[in-house]
Amino acid sequence: MVFNSLDFFIFLAIVFILYWFLFKKSVKLQNILLLISSYIFYGWWDWRFLSLILLSTIVDYFVGIMIHSSESQSKRKRWLWVSVIFNVGLLGFFKYFNFFVDSWIDMFTMFGYEIKSTWTLQVILPVGISFYTFQTMSYSFDLYYKKLKEPTKDFLSFAAFVSFFPQLVAGPIERASNLLSQITNKRSFSYEQSVSGIKLILWGLFKKVVIADSLAPIVDDIFANYSTYPASTLILGVTMFSFQVYGDFSGYSDIAIGTAKLFGIELMSNFKFPNFSRNVAEYWQRWHVSLSTWFRHYVYIPLGGSRVSKLKSVRNIIIIFLVSGFWHGANWTFIFWGAFHALAFIPVFLMGRNTIYKNSVVGENSIFPSLIEIGQVLLTFSIVTFSRIFFRSESITDAFNFIKRITSNFSYEIYNHPMGYRMIDYYILIGVFILYEYRIRKDERAPFKFKSKIIRFIVYTIVILLMLLFFDSNIDRSFIYFQF
Amino acid sequence: MKKLFFKSCLYVVLILITLEIIVRIFHLSKDNPSRFVDEFNVEKWVPNQEGYSVTGNRRQNFSKFYINNSGYNSYREFAPTLNKKELALVGDSFIEGFHQNYYNSIGKKIENKLQDFEVYEYGYAGYDFADQLHLIHAYKETFDKIDYVVLGLKFENDLMRSEYNVVTDRMHLESPLYRNARKIKLLVYTQNIGVLEPLWKLAGRIASIGKKANSNEEKEVTEAEIQYQQNIYVDNFKSLIDKYGFDKTRFILLLNVDVTPQHFLDYLNKNNFEYIDFGNALKQSKKPTTLIYDRHWNNHGREIIANLIAEHIKKSN
Repeated sequence: MVFNSLDFFIFLAIVFILYWFLFKKSVKLQNILLLISSYIFYGWWDWRFLSLILLSTIVDYFVGIMIHSSESQSKRKRWLWVSVIFNVGLLGFFKYFNFFVDSWIDMFTMFGYEIKSTWTLQVILPVGISFYTFQTMSYSFDLYYKKLKEPTKDFLSFAAFVSFFPQLVAGPIERASNLLSQITNKRSFSYEQSVSGIKLILWGLFKKVVIADSLAPIVDDIFANYSTYPASTLILGVTMFSFQVYGDFSGYSDIAIGTAKLFGIELMSNFKFPNFSRNVAEYWQRWHVSLSTWFRHYVYIPLGGSRVSKLKSVRNIIIIFLVSGFWHGANWTFIFWGAFHALAFIPVFLMGRNTIYKNSVVGENSIFPSLIEIGQVLLTFSIVTFSRIFFRSESITDAFNFIKRITSNFSYEIYNHPMGYRMIDYYILIGVFILYEYRIRKDERAPFKFKSKIIRFIVYTIVILLMLLFFDSNIDRSFIYFQF
Repeated sequence: MKKLFFKSCLYVVLILITLEIIVRIFHLSKDNPSRFVDEFNVEKWVPNQEGYSVTGNRRQNFSKFYINNSGYNSYREFAPTLNKKELALVGDSFIEGFHQNYYNSIGKKIENKLQDFEVYEYGYAGYDFADQLHLIHAYKETFDKIDYVVLGLKFENDLMRSEYNVVTDRMHLESPLYRNARKIKLLVYTQNIGVLEPLWKLAGRIASIGKKANSNEEKEVTEAEIQYQQNIYVDNFKSLIDKYGFDKTRFILLLNVDVTPQHFLDYLNKNNFEYIDFGNALKQSKKPTTLIYDRHWNNHGREIIANLIAEHIKKSN
């Protein structure tokens, strides 16, 4: 079931009514409802993989109890490793097994030894496996690092935490210390929270339908036929992909956060207007925040973070970016993407500028950004967009050929989509979107913050009208991050 | 909770009303002319209607249509005489031409090329070969005065029937329910762009609950089955011309050789049926010949078709 489908909205309405009318008085019943709903939501794709979620839930539930009850540090560590090995093992098998086998064969082929691949398996990647395995692991980590004082004894609540449907398949990846406590505690209906949730759902749908889905056919065409297009078109393609992937993923996150709000649960923000970042470090504080936070807490800091020597810190940065890249997919393109970001991040880190924008936004105290800020934003956007050539290309060879075509012989030509799309519509759309996001840049949770009710109403209407104007019934409407 | 429910409903209603107004102001949805079945059992448009045909979410194609006294989209009235030279185009939506301003139709383009001819466009969306021959047969007196009649024929679609009957499914669109629904322009618009498709699919799924599920698996069609089906179409063609007549001295088929089976073409050649192939000419065009979001011919495509017909008539003359 995808968020941008009629099935989902009917499902959501039914669960919402049951949750607040029938099961209102008992947290336990509400959690059972959330658990069943989440399993139905996931089973809509493929019910067979529900067993993986259940298995992961059982393992981490018991690992949590064992970590807590173990007295010696070594035993606690051993139990933590059980959780890590199990979850990473699941990921490794379903997501990376074929990649490792193929890479191994490729390596031998490079040295002149031909090996026939008999080890690769016909494995389907279970939707959202990278997200829920990381979420369950966070529970074991939080217990190990004592961010959670004690494990939950309520298995149903824990299972509801692991499989909470709004964020099950594409995040935000929640930490147990934030989400589990909300699930175990009583929730009460709040009008303001629900309205805020509906607004976020609307905004998320807008980003998905109007920005991501409408740009998708253009990006697909340019990347599929990059060898026939001039450099200017390739730049256009990757720039549009930047907006597509942002609209797609941040749209999903907004719908997830908004949906959770309808059930009285607050999820962490996942996107904080990353397109207005002034350096790459700020970008990573604003893009896919839940994953960055996960890696920071559970990989970077345990490795010593920035409290070790500069050299070791640089090593740690390289590790988390490579792992983060590899997390996205079993393809060298993602590893190169991670490596590229590490290379872009390290100079910022070495200059001590990695945290200077942590608590501010572009144009913090003024309506317009300064010229310096505009320059910084454009430079950061260009770096990030360039890295997306690796992210979007089918293979590493395609990525380098794409770059080669841009850099070796620059030529300009007006792009016309083979289907004859009116391109000016999309340029205006992106321009208006940038300006609107700049207007709301200070609060990612309030996309319709206007004092006047009339203006608010006009904006809602325009947003829905644009969804109609750019709706395309012929394209695949699934979310990009489902593949991860 | 009550507050949330009532405010949500209020917002939804207000937004729908505002969108309806916007769709009307910017004419985002197409106008649907009314249809009827005349005294000769011919389905056609109610005469003297005009409106706009719209394609795409953002009016990517916008054109005016005008239904003349005969019930067809054309800038001219159809009044054939024995003295003038006339050409009739009979066919489906491609001839009907709602996707182009009615004063810039294929017929008009042909008239520009054949100065002394009047061209009558008997185009109607959904007309198959049975509809076409029944029309000519029913209005025999009129068509007997016309010098040439070009009939559009898509082998795979137009020969499914061996005799003419009124297509009741199409006429259901004139029921009070549909007529009233069409007055809500937002509904027409959302239907046209596919927003309502999931809703209809869901309704279908609900309606089929309890019924035996049809196997959705597409069976691979064998060569023998294709051949069998094509033979039926050829037989239908023969039955139709037997029943309604086909004047080989004046009637010309307009078809795409690329998608027409060779044995049918052989049959046409062997039996002296004249035809114009438009497939090759469209294929050779460097510019697109169809509209965006629509497979109908665009202005360039129509120009090519008009050229082919005009050249053929010049040769026959």
